[in-house]
This record gives sequence, structure tokens and C-alpha cells, in this order.
Amino acid sequence: MRQFTRAQAAAYGFLTVTLLFCLLPFLWVALASVDPNATMFLSLPKAITADHFVKIFTANNGGRWFFNSLVTVGATTAVVVIVGGMGGYALSRTNAWWKRPFLYAIILVRVLPPTALIVPLYKVMLSANGLMGALVRSVVPPDSTRAAMRIFGFVDGYLGLILVLSAMQLPLALWIIKTYFDLTPKDYEEAALMDGANGWQRLHRILVPLALPGLGAAGLLTFIGAWGDFLMPLTFTSSAELQLLPIGLFRAFQRANTIDYGYLSALALLYMLPAVAAFGLARRFLVRTFTGGIKG
Amino acid sequence: MTVLRAGVGLIACAAAAAVLISCSGSGTGSRAGADSAASTPTIRIAEHRQPRIDALNKAIPKIEKQLGVVIEVIEYPAPEKDYLSKLLTELGAGNAPDLFTANFDSDVPDMVSAGYLAPMTAEVKAWDGYPQLFDVAKKLSTSADGQIYALDSMLLVQQLYFRRDLLDKAGISTAQPASWKDLLDRAREIKAKTGKYGLLLPAGISWGPGAFNEGFILFAPGSKTPQIVNRDGTLNLNGQGVRDIFRLYKSLIDEELMPVNPLLGPEPWVIPKYVMFPAGDLMATTCGTWCYIYDWGKDSKNPVPDVTKNVGTWAVPGMDGGLSVSISGSNIWAVNAKSAHVDLTKKVLLALCSVEATVAYAGLVGNIPARRDAADNKDFQALTELVPVLRDVDKGTFERSTPGFSVVSEGVARATEALLRKQTDAAGAQAILVKYVKDLLGDNAVK
Amino acid sequence: MTYETRMAWQNRLLLVPALVLLGCFILIPAVTAIYLSFTNDALSGYAASHPQLVGLKNYLRLFSDQGFWNSLIVTLAFVFGSSIVGQFVFGLAAALALRRPIALRPLFNAAILLPNAVPEVVAGFIWISMLAGGRYSTLSRIVGLIGVAPQNWLESAPLLMIIVVNTWRGIAFAMILMTSGLSAVPAEVYEAARMDGATARQIFWHITLPLLRPTIFLYMLVSTAGTIAIFGLIYTLTRGGPGGATEIIGIYIYNQSFVAYQLGYGSAVAVIMLAVSVALGAVYVRVLKVRV
Repeated sequence: MRQFTRAQAAAYGFLTVTLLFCLLPFLWVALASVDPNATMFLSLPKAITADHFVKIFTANNGGRWFFNSLVTVGATTAVVVIVGGMGGYALSRTNAWWKRPFLYAIILVRVLPPTALIVPLYKVMLSANGLMGALVRSVVPPDSTRAAMRIFGFVDGYLGLILVLSAMQLPLALWIIKTYFDLTPKDYEEAALMDGANGWQRLHRILVPLALPGLGAAGLLTFIGAWGDFLMPLTFTSSAELQLLPIGLFRAFQRANTIDYGYLSALALLYMLPAVAAFGLARRFLVRTFTGGIKG
Repeated sequence: MTVLRAGVGLIACAAAAAVLISCSGSGTGSRAGADSAASTPTIRIAEHRQPRIDALNKAIPKIEKQLGVVIEVIEYPAPEKDYLSKLLTELGAGNAPDLFTANFDSDVPDMVSAGYLAPMTAEVKAWDGYPQLFDVAKKLSTSADGQIYALDSMLLVQQLYFRRDLLDKAGISTAQPASWKDLLDRAREIKAKTGKYGLLLPAGISWGPGAFNEGFILFAPGSKTPQIVNRDGTLNLNGQGVRDIFRLYKSLIDEELMPVNPLLGPEPWVIPKYVMFPAGDLMATTCGTWCYIYDWGKDSKNPVPDVTKNVGTWAVPGMDGGLSVSISGSNIWAVNAKSAHVDLTKKVLLALCSVEATVAYAGLVGNIPARRDAADNKDFQALTELVPVLRDVDKGTFERSTPGFSVVSEGVARATEALLRKQTDAAGAQAILVKYVKDLLGDNAVK
Repeated sequence: MTYETRMAWQNRLLLVPALVLLGCFILIPAVTAIYLSFTNDALSGYAASHPQLVGLKNYLRLFSDQGFWNSLIVTLAFVFGSSIVGQFVFGLAAALALRRPIALRPLFNAAILLPNAVPEVVAGFIWISMLAGGRYSTLSRIVGLIGVAPQNWLESAPLLMIIVVNTWRGIAFAMILMTSGLSAVPAEVYEAARMDGATARQIFWHITLPLLRPTIFLYMLVSTAGTIAIFGLIYTLTRGGPGGATEIIGIYIYNQSFVAYQLGYGSAVAVIMLAVSVALGAVYVRVLKVRV
């Protein structure tokens, strides 16, 4: 019993230290967001105001930015979980000769700085956009072309942005899901097959619950990763209707060297909420463990 | 199960989004509709930073009516570096907006040699505003080959700003310093009589292009090397003048006449300009016309009370006499060479160089219209801090640019960083500058 | 068709969407970047309109530059300190601690996640507020309470500071991966070990860690690659100074390619970064004895 309590105390102690380490820098952000005269340095506000938060939604398009970010990143997460789920499973169960080079290639590509990749990527997207534009124009009446391209366009369109963000997050997701399926004994599948499971239904009833922690981790990290991606939205969106939260943060940059720290902090606080919420949601999936099933 | 529920939820969101978008889409659809010859052409303009966008939006309605076009303002990321990165990526791919600004005069030569900008010499010279342009603006807008690819429609004027009230109180003369020695002596006097810092020149790597654009370049005209760029495009960096400017820096740093510690860290201008200067711990600094309004005026975080009375300006003295006021271009508009409506865009550009448009920017950004007749505009006259500066523009000097000029800027930042860290002397700083430029641009670039 | 061939085709089909996405948006740009490293292509200037193949010129320039080797060393130290040690230790410990019944678990979760959830721009300013400005910085004020002199932390201990900042930023990622990995260890294994009389320490070193090896490998690989590529956060804090003490390779590229408009030279350095991470990956495979 004593050993248990000591370990428990150690856990609490460590977590508290970590909590302080993580949260202390945010003190500035919290104070600055309600300070009408926020500066770069930590200071107690002489007055409290909600102006910064209000300004995000009234003077600026805060609502629109949030909506766009949620839709885009949410869709990205869905795409990655599905495509990555399928791909990770296949990669785990296959022994093709190209499997290891492919896996290493996609994960090590993360090393290349985005600035090296963005120019070729933009050209690829622009070509795809041209093709999509031709397709849309042949199907949709001319007045709605612009609106349709905003959804389906590759440059300055939701579809392109979602696909690009998905592609950026896919390597990690594939690895996580593949690693997770590697740890999942094939016995479950074979048992299901022997029980006469055919088609996708049974496999999904067995595989997906088994893989849930892996899918959960992949989905969560995809959400957080895509949510924090600045470069893709900034490069590939131009229309005001499409802007995501990063552009909102840049609204705090007024003239050459003056930054509205209060506005920046307020928007940053709001910015972090969905990521925290996603973590809270995904946490349940992360800790599912195996329970019995194949004894004997 | 949960994954399916999440999927359904997302599809519902996407559907809602589609509805919302098509609703707003049809709202603007009629404005920015298909670009066929029958309907109104749309001109897309890139702009960044809220005050500039506000100014542009003020000027647009009249231009739209005048020229029968629809203008769409596209908001780009605020920081200069990100703005330029996105713009250059799009220019390289051929997908850039029709009309945009260059951040600095020094950005233009590289864009010209990349073939991104449409020449507009004929249209500009035929424009009725052309005679009104200051000579400085005309010269800044003209490229090395004599063509005009970008028009400097506004100007940034930089001088030395000082705390008149505090100098008066300490019994120090506020007369215009006549030479560098005079300026240094004044700074020394400030330190001796008040214990505060006497003069700040931006320096160091953290300040980015500021060490060059807001410090070095102000003293070049009055030095033995008035122009850094030779007629043939090479750089005049080995001369005595450059060494003298670094010597000036060294004196200020070594004698502790300017704050050094903040300049070694990130966001180096915050403490000296926004904390020390208003508080009176720093008595003089280089700054520009916008400073009266946005750095220390009623719109700023740490205003100086009664700023137009308490903060005075000195022109920059030459080393052995003479005065200069440093001028650089602002609102440097250029037309995308690959635009679908090149001629129409040129007309829009010239309309943006009108008195009203430039005064709109002046009020919100703090730069100066590059035209003489702006002085007669009522709205401009209401910007009292800027009016006397417009009168003095003719006395201003500027530095020619050349491709690769940003390398010089970075070189000066590194040279002044070494001076800040007391690692070298003026000659050594010059050597650092020359070596850096030669490394990146080739040995032939420096004469 | 036999079972095996059917499964093989099924696998290939499952992979097609991933392959298409990755092929178009990652592999094509990556291959293009490698090609660009042999040219003098740029985003602005004469070379932008007339790019030329220059062979190995970019690489030769790279290898003869003292600054490059310095940045390589700084990067390795940075990766070791923040990714391999800092984030990993904190992340694993947090994952283990949070598996216990802990009150206020959502609070701890949220606190650990926040550093990763805040956008990089804001994270930069947060740490400027903490570390820069001499006596104005938060850290100076805190240590002032125990009598330590206020100082410019980014001047006195630059490398240490950026390691701390990056550790702060990445704990959540390690924790999430470790949590997921720990979940793959069946409970029966722990039960059996406990019934055999193993102590907590023995269980950890001889059961938990070995079973975590694939997850640890994944974490090391991904985190190393990601940390090597870091640019914005550190650039905001130190610009690579003082004197190149924190010039990680991302900042080196930026400084050398004057504002990153030289695509050719920047791509060459990027290719070298790729080679370095491949080498590190091989080291991890050896050390951790994993099969991919």
C-alpha cells in the first residue's frame, strides 16, 4: 500500500511541476488579452477589458475565420483518419519490397523546410486548379463559377486546402496506424474470418475497435498539426471568404513595428480552445486497452 | 459508431458550409463574376496590414466608378517577409494579382530582372500627375535601364527626432547639429548632464533591415561615400565614407551613448523606441514621419504628451557640414506583367497615385504623398504633423538601389552587430560588410 | 484467385488514396526540390526568369562554408537536448503518470497540450516575453525573487534556452504517442508480471520499455525530422545568434539564401538535411533494434 501511495505522490509531484512549466509562460497571454494597454512584457493590467475579444468578432471576421478553420481542419482529420486507416492497415499487412523505402521516404520528407517545397507545390496545385476550373465551367452556369471554385478549387478553394493539409499530415498518420496494427495480433482477424466473417462489415467491427487508440492518436495529432499549419492557408487562400484563423492573428500586426499584443493574445486564447477540446474528446480513444478475447 | 457519427457530423458541417458559401457567393458573385468581355472586368489588388487596407478601401469606390471596373482587394499576410514570399511564389507561378506594392525600393530591381513587372514608362510620362511628382519620386521610380516599372506614389521621410522638452529642461541646446562631431558632442552632453542615452541608431542583426534602412543610410549622403551604388551597378563599399559611418556607430556604442542590450535581443525596437523614448531615458533617435502619430502620438501605446511640441526634428548633418533628409519610396505600385488586363491595371495604378488616394494612405499610415499638389488638399492639411515635411521633400536625398541590395542590408546588420558586441573597430566592421557582400554576390560586385 | 493474391490486391487498393495524395502533394515537390538543388533557381532576380543547371556548385559552396558545419553541430545538439531527451522524458513520464487514477486529469491534459496548441507566432512572443528584455523579462523577475541578477537569458545561455523552449513546445506530442503506445501493452502482461513478484521498476525496464520500442522508434524518427526542420520559433527568439550559437540549420538556410528567395541553394541545404536525417534514422533502427 505504501509503495502505491509513494508512486502516486511522485506522479502528482511530477505532473504539477510539468503543469507549472507549461502554463507559466501563458500568464502573459492571459493578462494581455484583457489589458487595454498590453505590452510585450508581463504586467498587471491597470484596467480589465473584453474589447479585444469583442473586436475579433465585430470589427473582424472572427466568426468566419473560426468556421473556415473548423470545417477545413475537421475535414482534413476525417480524410486522414480514413485514408490513413486504410493505408496504415495495408502497410502493416503487406511485405512488398517498396514498403520500407516508401515509409522512410514519406516521414523523412518532413525534414525539408516548407520554403523549399512550397514553390513546386504551388505549381502542382495551380495545374490541378486549371483542370478543375475547366471541369467546373463545363458543368456549372457562369454566374456560379466563382462560388463553385471556392469550394472545389485547388488554389483558393476549400477542396485544395483540405487535400494539401491532409497530404501534410498523412505520413505521420500512416506510421502511427501502421505501428499500431503491427502490434495488433493477426489472431483477431483470423478468428473473425474463421467465424465466417466476410466482407468489410465484420472486419470493421473487429479491426476498427482494436485500432481505435492508433486511429485516435493519428486523428488527434492530425487535428493539432493541421490546426497549427500557417503556411498552407496563407499560401493557398486569397479570398476573404476563405480566410482561416492565421490571417486573423496577422491582423494584430498594425504598422511596421507595432503589434497589438492584446488582440494577439485574445485571438491566441480562442485559437487554442478547439485543440484542447479535440484532445479531451480523443483522450478516451487513446487509452483503450485490449481486453481478453483470444484465450486458449 | 463514433467514427461514423463524426463522419456524418462533418458532412453536415460541410453541407452547411456549402450553403453559407453559396449565399455569400451570390452576394459577391455579381460583383466578381465571370470575366468575359461582356461583363465588367475585375482588377485584383494585393494589400496587407489593416491601416493600408482601410486606406485602399477608401480610395476604391471613386476609382471603380471612374474607370468602370470592379476592384477586388486581396488581403495578404501582414509581416513584410510573408507578404513578399506569397507574392513572389504567385508571380513565379504566373498567378499573382494584377496590382501590388513592393515593400522597399530595393525589392524592385530583382523583380524587374525576373520579368515580373510590366513597363509603364509611356503611360506614366503621359499622366497628368507626372509633373506634380517630386524629382525624388521620379528618380526613385526609374530603373537602371531608364524605364519605369514601379511608381513610388508616396515617400517615407526619415530624420532625427529628439525630446525638445527634456533637452530644454536640462539646458542643452536644441539647435540643429551641424556636423557629426556636433551631433556626437550633443549626445555626450546629454549623457553628462542627464545620465540618459543621447542618440539611438538602429543596429545589429535582430533589427533586420533597420540597421541599414533606418540607420546607416541616413548618414551616407553626408559622408565621403554619398552613393553606395555606382553608376555601373557595383557597390561602393571600400571607401572612407563607409568606415566613417561605422566609426560614428562605434563612438555611440563604446561611449554608451545608445542602449546596446535591447538591440541584441528579439524585437529590439520595443524598449528603446516605445519605452525609453517616451519615458525620457533616451533623448534622440532616428525615426520617420509616422512616428509623430503612431509611435508617440495619441494613437500609440506610450504617448508622449503634447507630442508635436515636445518632440522636435533635426535633419541629418553631413560629416563636415550640410544637411540631408533621407527619403525612400513607399506605396511603390507595380503591375503584374502577366495580368489579363495590363492596360486597365495601369490606369487603376495611376488612379491610386491621385491626391485623394495618397492622402487617404497618409492619414492612416503616416507616409507622405509624392506629389506637390497634395499640399493644397484639405484632408492633407488636416494632418498637421505631416504638412511641413511635404514642404521640405525637395531637400531630401535618397540612395539608388541595385539588384541584390538586400545583401548590403544584411551585411550592414552583421557589421553593426560586431560593433554592438565590441568585437571589432570601424575598419573591421567594414571588412565584415565587404566580405559578406562579396561572398554572396561575387567578388566583382564590390569596387 | 487465392486468398493471398486477393489480400494482396485488397492491400494495394487500400493504399491507392494515400499514394495519390502523397505522390502529388509531397513526393513530386520533394523530387522537384532535389532537382532544384542542382540549379540556381530563385524567386526573384535574374535567375528567376533564366534558371540554369549549375551542377554541384551549390553543394561545394555549402561544404566550404564554416557556418554550415557550425549549424550542423548546433542542430544536432538542439535535437538531442530537446527532442531525444527533453520532450521524450517529459512526455513518457506524463503518459505514465496520467495512466494512474489522478484527480483533475483534464486540467493536467489541457496544461500539457497548450504549448503545442498555441500558434508558432504567438509561441515566439510568449518566450520573448519570458526571456528577452533584460530586467523586463518574466524569467528575470522570477529569479530576481531568489536573488539572481536579471540578465539577457538569450545572450547568456542561448542554446540551453532554445532547448528549453522546444521541449516546452513538444511535450504533448511525445505524451500522445507514448499514451497510444502504452495502450497497446495488454493488461494481462502486467498482471502476470505482478503475480510473478516483479517490482514496479523491473516491470518498467524489462516489460514496458521493450514493448514500447516501436512507438519510441516512431517518436524518435518523427520528432527528429520535425526538430531538424524547425525555423520560425527559434528565428523569432535569436535570429541564430549570438554569433551563430543557435543557428540551427533552418536558420542557416534562411540567412544564406538571403530571405530564402534562392531556391537552388536552399534546396541543396535541404537535401543535406534529408541525408542527415536518413543517417539518424539508421542509427535509431540499430539502437532500438526495430523492424519496420
